[in-house]
Amino acid sequence: MRIGVCIKQVPDTDSHLRIADSGREIDDSDLNWVISSCDLCALEEALLLAEAQVSRGEERPELVVFSLGPARVEEALRKALALGADRAVHLADEALQGGDALADGRALAAALAGANCDLVLTGAQSDDLGQAATPAVIAEILGLPYAWLVMAVELDAPRQSARVVRELEGGMNEVLRLDLPAVLAIQAGINKPRFASLRGTLQARGKPLHREDCSGVDAGLVGAAGAGTETESVTLPPAGAGGVVIEGVSAEAAAEELLAHLEREAAL
Amino acid sequence: MVLLPHTYQSAEYAPRLAVRLGASYIASVSSATLDPCGGLHFSRAILQARLRAEVRPKRRLVVATVQIGAFGGHEPVESPERVFEVGRPADVERHREREILGREAAGAGGVDLPGAERIVTAGRGVGGPDEVSVAADLASALDAELGASRPVVDNGWLPREHQVGSSGHIVAPNLYVALGVSGSIQHLMGMSGSRVIVAVNRDPEAPIFSVAHYGIVADLHDVAPALTRLLEARRSG
Ligand SMILES: Cc1cc2nc3c(=O)[nH]c(=O)nc-3n(C[C@H](O)[C@H](O)[C@H](O)COP(=O)(O)OP(=O)(O)OC[C@H]3O[C@@H](n4cnc5c(N)ncnc54)[C@H](O)[C@@H]3O)c2cc1C
Repeated sequence: MRIGVCIKQVPDTDSHLRIADSGREIDDSDLNWVISSCDLCALEEALLLAEAQVSRGEERPELVVFSLGPARVEEALRKALALGADRAVHLADEALQGGDALADGRALAAALAGANCDLVLTGAQSDDLGQAATPAVIAEILGLPYAWLVMAVELDAPRQSARVVRELEGGMNEVLRLDLPAVLAIQAGINKPRFASLRGTLQARGKPLHREDCSGVDAGLVGAAGAGTETESVTLPPAGAGGVVIEGVSAEAAAEELLAHLEREAAL
Repeated sequence: MVLLPHTYQSAEYAPRLAVRLGASYIASVSSATLDPCGGLHFSRAILQARLRAEVRPKRRLVVATVQIGAFGGHEPVESPERVFEVGRPADVERHREREILGREAAGAGGVDLPGAERIVTAGRGVGGPDEVSVAADLASALDAELGASRPVVDNGWLPREHQVGSSGHIVAPNLYVALGVSGSIQHLMGMSGSRVIVAVNRDPEAPIFSVAHYGIVADLHDVAPALTRLLEARRSG
């Protein structure tokens, strides 16, 4: 059995974000790049599924991580290897860059199909663009069953199926059974991602990280050429409803001022 | 153009629909404009609502999902020009590859967030499981229920039943105090109907300030204990 995990490298949401001079993207000159949080949960879930298979006396599935992006993405893949993935595939080709979810999903689907994965895990949505579209695009292109916002996975390898719990609004969950191969988009909170050990980091250096050129896919369908959308501008959100801002005073003074307002509002 | 609400059900299949139609796909838009040349432009939150992006579809067909609550309620159109009745086409087989087995509640009850008069919510900015007490202390000084943003629950700092937001409780108390909450769309969906909203956040650009009636730009570890002390002093004084 082989499990493919797609990870995206995104700006750390805690880093200071500046809009680039072009006004069309964020300034990436001094950003801190990390693996998107749900994608880390997807990788952790793959590791847990592999461990569960082993403890049931079955063969350990091979875990392959995939990421599309420029050279910096190698660092994210190395981290995934340090966490326990067996090998990594970097979709680094220049022609694949600059796409949107449709284009990236198509490129990833081609790479995943080439690797013959029985199960594909991704995060539910990226911390940067947050469209929640790439895994659904992968599922559609590969013609596979799909579930979004997955909060639990149990594999039934002999029957080639998975029991999945997925979130609905308002504190309800839906229980599903999906045939394998399937694509599952993992929601944050399903598990607590582990930290890489020193041993894992050292072992990762010897694990295969391979660059995939995706020569099989139609160049017009991937990268900037294949994108269905174009970002015209990036701006700060519109200022709020004009609330009262308390700033630059001591904590005690801020507390006094706030309580005076709340008393007047009869909110206490 | 095909428009769908950005719910947990439709956002699951909408991108597949876009692929099948050869359409552009844009998720969770909060506004749309038509330029004089007939071009469509959509606005959507990116980077956890810290920035907005204006996006243009490059294809003639567009599938877009609309952020719940982004557009105010309009008067219903009295008679839509055409209504299509769509039944299940006879040749569509029931999918066997994906089967719904049932539904279940996600967490246990026990906390009455929807019925609360006041709520103090701990966001990820409180910093860790041991620091949740700054929010809990303020909650008890205000006689409020304790809420949590999703990461606080996901990290196990508070149980799931404290969660406010689209995948937790939808609340509208008289007073909502958000400590170290950035103000993501999913969180705002759960609390923006509160009567008086107070936000304490050290980032002046945090999106929570766009819905807050009172915003304190400061470290919550200074302000929340100061508020607690003041309330306790008043109570005993
Ligand atoms: C399908 C889906 C459903 C979701 N449902 C929900 C939901 O129901 N509820 C929910 O909350 N989220 C939900 N989320 C997650 C949501 O997208 C955000 O990730 C989450 O709301 C962020 O939580 P936060 O504001 O606590 O953390 P962050 O976004 O990390 O914000 C922390 C804030 O704390 C501030 N801060 C840090 N330290 C301090 C300090 N010392 N003093 C003052 N301020 C400080 C920072 O400036 C920052 O603004 C959902 C996501 C998805 C994809």
